[in-house]
Amino acid sequence: MESIRTIFDIFITTYPGFLDAVIITLQLTAISVVLGTVLGIAFALMKISKSKILQGIANLYITVIRGTPLLVQIMFLYFGITQIVVLDNFWAGALALGVHNGAYIAEIFRGAIQGIDRGQTEASRALGMTNNQLMRRIVFPQALRRSIPPLGNQFIITLKDSSLVWMIGVAELFSVANRAAASSFKQFETFIVVGFYYLVLVMIFTYIVRWYENRLDVDKV
Amino acid sequence: MIIGENIHKSFGDLEVLKGIDLHVKPQEVVVLVGVSGSGKSTLLRCFNFLEEMNSGTITIDGHTIDPKKDKLPDIRAEVGMVFQHFNLFPHKTVLENVIEAPIIVKKMDKAKAKQLGLALLEKVGLGDKADVYPSKLSGGQKQRVAIARALAMEPKVLLFDEPTSALDPELVGEVLQVMKQLAEEGMTMVVVTHEMKFAKEVADRVIMLDKGVIIESADPKTFFENPQNERTKQFIQLVE
Repeated sequence: MESIRTIFDIFITTYPGFLDAVIITLQLTAISVVLGTVLGIAFALMKISKSKILQGIANLYITVIRGTPLLVQIMFLYFGITQIVVLDNFWAGALALGVHNGAYIAEIFRGAIQGIDRGQTEASRALGMTNNQLMRRIVFPQALRRSIPPLGNQFIITLKDSSLVWMIGVAELFSVANRAAASSFKQFETFIVVGFYYLVLVMIFTYIVRWYENRLDVDKV
Repeated sequence: MIIGENIHKSFGDLEVLKGIDLHVKPQEVVVLVGVSGSGKSTLLRCFNFLEEMNSGTITIDGHTIDPKKDKLPDIRAEVGMVFQHFNLFPHKTVLENVIEAPIIVKKMDKAKAKQLGLALLEKVGLGDKADVYPSKLSGGQKQRVAIARALAMEPKVLLFDEPTSALDPELVGEVLQVMKQLAEEGMTMVVVTHEMKFAKEVADRVIMLDKGVIIESADPKTFFENPQNERTKQFIQLVE
């Protein structure tokens, strides 16, 4: 009982600071999702291209990113890139998350593109379409619809993974909670509160993705 | 109209077509029959270069195609094809399926394409389905849309690759009816099918393929009543 009261008190006292931090978390997520999607499309196209060089580059990127921890990538990028260009820790974090996401999104897109039935490309070819035309008009639109559910999943992972950039001092949700926990000596209760924040954010996100899926009528494909 | 000469095709070590010659005259309906694995679908797919031949030539309307110089999409635009599994575009409505290629490939004006598309859908008896998605159609309806889609490119010849094999028996008739109508209108057609009734009624010529060679080629009456080759006799007994 005492504990529940403490949790409630902490919720009340921390929420102005936490709400600012939520904004930062959402900004980090949005930027890395956009960057990851752009990178993902680019590397997926490279992977399905006929050029062995482009395939090789894409494979290298995907293997390295998927084969190393996100935390290592964040540190590597933060300490590596800030030696070359001036970049604050927020942008270094967003960049790291985006580059990390790109590898997973590339695989989502590649799988969706290659999962389109061969009959679709054959029918398009038989109608006289060039490779570019059939990719643009027939394959990509279908692949995109099929990508929505796994992409939504990936975006949720990104939202949660954004907590890792507290390591380089970005004032996002986890980092602010961590500070509040340390200063109040109520670690257990504070982390329950921050867990609640993440849970609500993820639920909202899930709802939006599901709504979008229905709107696109994924069953059509 | 469309002439295939000395067509050879192998998949790895397996020689599927062993030097096929096939001359299809304008307005002729040629039906290809044979047991599965005899190479009839592969032959059909060589005619629009969906399958790359090992050797041999295809001549369409007097022009012998050089796959290295000629643009294959331009060639394919003149040769329509209807597939066993329809292969309609699921993300497009019935009308969009039909007018996609005229707009994209032929750069036809959208309003004009729409007019053409609706007329073709009317022709195959699906004028009222223009705005629905393919997933809402029966197999027979899907195949009729696929035929309208192929016709929209105004092809010189239409290839049918087992167009009724994936259909429930009660839906076969409506598709064959449309094909019969096309034949009567003078469309040049090459049809791979197991529908012997269609071959008898509609074909000008029936050709039997066996192990990659043509072993019988005759008008339907001669083909079914007086076949020369022993294997053709067996085949006819088997399917009747």
